[in-house]
Amino acid sequence: MLAFIGRSFIQKIVTLFFVSVISFLIIHLAPGEPSQIDPMNPKFTPEMVERFRAAFHLDEPLYVQYLYFYKDLFTGKTFSWKDNRPVLGKIWERFLNSLSLFIVGTILTWTLSFPIGIRSAINRGHAFDRSTTFLAYLLISIPGFFFAYLLIISVVSYFHVPVIGMVTFGLEGSSAIRSVMDRVWHLFIPSVLGATGGVAVLSRYVRSQMLEVEGQDYVRTAKAKGLPNDQVYYKHALRNALLPFVTMFGMILPGLIGGSVIIESIFAWPGMGRMAYEAILARDYPVILTVNFFSAVLVLAGTFISDLLYTVVDPRIKL
Amino acid sequence: MTIKKILIIAPTLVIIFLLQSYLWVPTYEEQTRGNPKRLTKFITASIGDASMLNPILSADTASSSIESLVFEGLVDRDENLHFRGRLAISWEIHEEAFFYVNEKAAVPGLGEASSADIKALLTKAINQPGLYDITLQTTLKNIKEIAVLPSRSWTTQQPYQAAPQKGQTEKVEVTVDAPAGIKLMLQQVDQDLFENLSKLLGENYFSSFSSDAYLSFGKEISDEQKHTLGRKLLSSTEHNPIVTFHLRPDVKFHDGHILDAGDVKFTYESIINPKNLSPRISDYEPVKRVEVIDDLTVRVTYKRLYSPALGTWAMGILPEHLLNKTALEAEAEKRGKDPAEFSLRQSLFNRNPLGSGPFVFKEWKSDQYIALDRFEGYWEGAPNYEHYMFRIIPDLLTQEIEFYAGTIDNYGVQPHQVERLSQDPTYQHFSGPSFGYSYIGYNIRREPFNDVRVRRALGMAIDVDKIIKYVLYEQGERITGPFVKQTDYYDHNIKPIPYDPEGALALLNAAGWQRNQAGWLEKDGKKLQFTLITNNGNPLRKDILAIAQDAWKKIGIDVRTDLLEWSVFIQERVDKGDFDALILGWSMGIEPDLYQIWHSSQTNPYQLNFVGFKNKEADDLIIRIRKEYNHDKQVAYSHRLHEIIAREQPYTFLYVAKWTAILDKRIVIKQQNDEGQDVFEAIKPTKTGSYNFYFNRWIKLSKAPYFALDG
Repeated sequence: MLAFIGRSFIQKIVTLFFVSVISFLIIHLAPGEPSQIDPMNPKFTPEMVERFRAAFHLDEPLYVQYLYFYKDLFTGKTFSWKDNRPVLGKIWERFLNSLSLFIVGTILTWTLSFPIGIRSAINRGHAFDRSTTFLAYLLISIPGFFFAYLLIISVVSYFHVPVIGMVTFGLEGSSAIRSVMDRVWHLFIPSVLGATGGVAVLSRYVRSQMLEVEGQDYVRTAKAKGLPNDQVYYKHALRNALLPFVTMFGMILPGLIGGSVIIESIFAWPGMGRMAYEAILARDYPVILTVNFFSAVLVLAGTFISDLLYTVVDPRIKL
Repeated sequence: MTIKKILIIAPTLVIIFLLQSYLWVPTYEEQTRGNPKRLTKFITASIGDASMLNPILSADTASSSIESLVFEGLVDRDENLHFRGRLAISWEIHEEAFFYVNEKAAVPGLGEASSADIKALLTKAINQPGLYDITLQTTLKNIKEIAVLPSRSWTTQQPYQAAPQKGQTEKVEVTVDAPAGIKLMLQQVDQDLFENLSKLLGENYFSSFSSDAYLSFGKEISDEQKHTLGRKLLSSTEHNPIVTFHLRPDVKFHDGHILDAGDVKFTYESIINPKNLSPRISDYEPVKRVEVIDDLTVRVTYKRLYSPALGTWAMGILPEHLLNKTALEAEAEKRGKDPAEFSLRQSLFNRNPLGSGPFVFKEWKSDQYIALDRFEGYWEGAPNYEHYMFRIIPDLLTQEIEFYAGTIDNYGVQPHQVERLSQDPTYQHFSGPSFGYSYIGYNIRREPFNDVRVRRALGMAIDVDKIIKYVLYEQGERITGPFVKQTDYYDHNIKPIPYDPEGALALLNAAGWQRNQAGWLEKDGKKLQFTLITNNGNPLRKDILAIAQDAWKKIGIDVRTDLLEWSVFIQERVDKGDFDALILGWSMGIEPDLYQIWHSSQTNPYQLNFVGFKNKEADDLIIRIRKEYNHDKQVAYSHRLHEIIAREQPYTFLYVAKWTAILDKRIVIKQQNDEGQDVFEAIKPTKTGSYNFYFNRWIKLSKAPYFALDG
């Protein structure tokens, strides 16, 4: 076990190094200049372009820039070129905003998918199964932005309440509970939107896992010895069907830093996705690279956790 | 079964909890009509957040719109785009001109003349102006005072190119023994001063001045380098325009500190400080020095004639007492940074700005909103709105929804939405020409665009009126030249190129292009074929690309088109001059300075005259406009330049788009008349196309007023 942890740790460090090199190269080799340098502005003289490039170390060879960047990152000195704020502070602020959306979305996804999936599996081929299948495919195929507009327009025109932003604008000075509930409401619609795709996909997984397990000998045995249906399904079948989901739990970790550009833009949510997207448009390299680095770390940590969880839930697997 | 129960109860509880939050949320009705305080707030929406709220550091639109409310400059433009004083009550512009006495030159009637001789000659001429031609007379009348500057010498260390191929620079010690000089005080700036004086002092008096002769070098350098250094250290003539500003007394910053001349000087110094990386530095590069005469007087001396200078003082003035060296060092200390490296760019001031404008900064939540309160102590009287909110809503459709709901007062309304909303009685809508234009530019270095007939024919084949009607929903106007349409510099007598495909074909025939059997135009066996490119992501340009391609195909030109990602488009094609024809737009300032875009010296790679337009008369006019301080003369030069560019057609000038705005009808202008009563007026855009010129006087009423003038 310890050997596995050590080995995989070293592997992950090596991978991380390559990820950092490749992402650095891709971002720097892509055409475009930081938005502070505006070649189409008549007031921007070549001397100014040089001065900006020198201030951002853009005039140095790439490997020197690479070292500069990672030195700054590990000493916590990276600054966004756009507004000169520390990148880590910026990311932390956005991370907290995205986190609540992520948590509510994940709770919705995971609590809804299981009952729906299990029920479709039990009633395979019946009305419930067919209608959830239909709905799942509908939700998977509908474009997120379109669905978002439909949701916003219907909520706004039928319920006359605001949905965008993190809080109702101009609500300052109302009671604590009201502000909390207001935040919850503002979380609700975007996380429903974020969860729809997840629920649709995950419930399909649950269904097929349940169906697979249902065909196993031990389930037949359980049925044959006359156990009540509920006990067969929820005790014997479900436990074994859960195995692959435990590992999936590790995979949602990178979602922490991803955020969703589309949902965050439409709902005016000041989250990670929007920040990263705007940083890419403005060629704000320190922000892009830092976000990139952290998501690489989270992906690697996620796979590591998945591996570990597997050994915990399935004693047959030895590392 | 507990598991079953949990699986059903858990999601139900979660959903019930989330749904019940609906009951706590205030409806739109409660937020808007049910909330009397809403009328005291103006809320606007922007798709992007500000970057730094410091007028000398940021150049983006979002930041500028906040800065213009929090900070204020010395001058700005009034309804007619003339300068008006803000922090400055008034200003004077005069000139000090300077030249070295050319001891070797033969002055008519005097021979080799000393400084005293020259002074006497000039004084005599000023007293008898009738003897000379009219231009010299004007120049002489303009001279207020003549002074002799004695000869002097000094030693400096100067960098020079040691090995020109390698680009190495070294330093050399230079001793300058400057001859005596003459200083002329002029009432007005006169760019022709030396040209006219040479009629008096001899044609080559100024040009034959050899500065190298007065220099001695610490070590041997090439003659060419001596010459370069000579011109740099000892220029034979110099124009020093001077602007003296008289500041408004008792103007306060938001913290109560009095704004004085020191703050103006400090703002200038912050801009030119290379550590601050100000994007505005090129505006202030021609400044020689800024002097504080007294608390309320600032004198700005320029190195050379630079007529856009006055406009640069619209820059917001920074509070020196919060940002000077001691303040920055204290901040660095407090935040644990290295004071040596800490500059204005790192200061928290950029997120908590403090100026002297009509609104006080209150709060900034990144990517959510920026909140301002009105400044009760504003010198012109506090604005009517108590609060100003700048909400960041990145999606245009959501902006529109919020606007209908009444939670924002203003948003980036699109032309097609204006058309839809213009019928709605709840809203008032405005539009006006913006500062900029769209064009098709031709690479004049290449066949067939080196022929003006071809360029003209290409313009004639495109129906621009239809583009304006169908692509822009009528929110655009035709434009014929490179100046901002609502300024005097733009010559309205120049007619746009007519839409005339037949005429275009005739012109092309005259240029030697004939239709072949397949219907394509051909000359010497070569088909008329080129590629029209533009950047991806701009739907308007994409539409024009298709329209132009189709229009040109109809007269037999084989046009290929290409859409490129913006940075590839700029770096690989525009900067390198590697294109046939392209669609682009310029956004412009009011100043008629066209040097970077149209002067023939700017046609190299990475410069902005990428179409390669070269015209001697135009070059001359561009320089004259830059140096001319007299508005009427500037207008005359600009009209001539406009005419040349319209004739040469290096661009097919397409249109100037209109800005569009929609407001609730309840927003009006509130003023007090002489008896102290409130008078209401409808908002009208000014002649020059700004609807929010009187923003400080706006207010929202609870009911839409009825104005007799509405009919």
